[in-house]
Amino acid sequence: MASPLEFEALLAPLLDRAYGLALHLTRDRADAEDLVQEAALLAFRGFQGFTPGTNFRAWFFRILTNAFITSHRRKKHEPETVPLDDAPNAYLQRRAHEVVADGTGRPGLTGGELASAVIGKLETEQVEAAIAALPEEFRAASALYFLADLSYREIGESLGVPIGTVRSRLHRGRALLQRQLWRLAEDHGLVAAAARGGGDR
Amino acid sequence: MSPSRLTCAETFARLDDYVDRELAPDEVREVVAHLESCVVCAGEFEIERRLLDDIRGKLRRVRAPADLMAKVSSRLRAE
Repeated sequence: MASPLEFEALLAPLLDRAYGLALHLTRDRADAEDLVQEAALLAFRGFQGFTPGTNFRAWFFRILTNAFITSHRRKKHEPETVPLDDAPNAYLQRRAHEVVADGTGRPGLTGGELASAVIGKLETEQVEAAIAALPEEFRAASALYFLADLSYREIGESLGVPIGTVRSRLHRGRALLQRQLWRLAEDHGLVAAAARGGGDR
Repeated sequence: MSPSRLTCAETFARLDDYVDRELAPDEVREVVAHLESCVVCAGEFEIERRLLDDIRGKLRRVRAPADLMAKVSSRLRAE
């Protein structure tokens, strides 16, 4: 058995992101803590199989995701999620362009500035809520993409799905996420505020 | 750089893969050639990249509970 100290030295810098990933997968703070601990234990037990110098982050996040899939997934019923009708890609910037084209907002404002300003005005919790509202297959791929810095191939290995499935889940999940963010921003009056204020962030 | 053979629509369809660095080298060259000759598409790509960076930045502000590492350590040592 490897030394806990050696293992902890590799895990400690990843802990915030591991917890963030676990939080997106489980959508519950206590479950997320349990999942990180469970994954750490599993990874430590299999640490002999880890090749030093290779990607510990990808290896650990794969273990964490598998632990979620095998145990936590069955614990919870899926809460209400966003409807699955398709959103086009680059949804948020398309809508921002529409607002600008309508003449809403300060003169000279571009769609790109508005899209960025809208994201800038959203709170971290609102972005988290938008991810949390994605159906699980999109949420898991999106969380691995945003938090774990994994390639499509590594995400596929983590989720046990082919790379083409990862690509389609990520692209569709991204469009759904942007639609959720835009709606959240509209509901909170942030689009109008961003249009008036332009690119302030 | 050779002139782009991709249309704007074909380039836009590759937007996500390009931003994610998941395109094959040949396709990257095609997309780059188009972006160098099309201000509109270049702007769209830049916005999409920035949006994803903004979302990523916000999601990464999450911090693990202060005692989580201690809990992990304790379980490892109980092995």
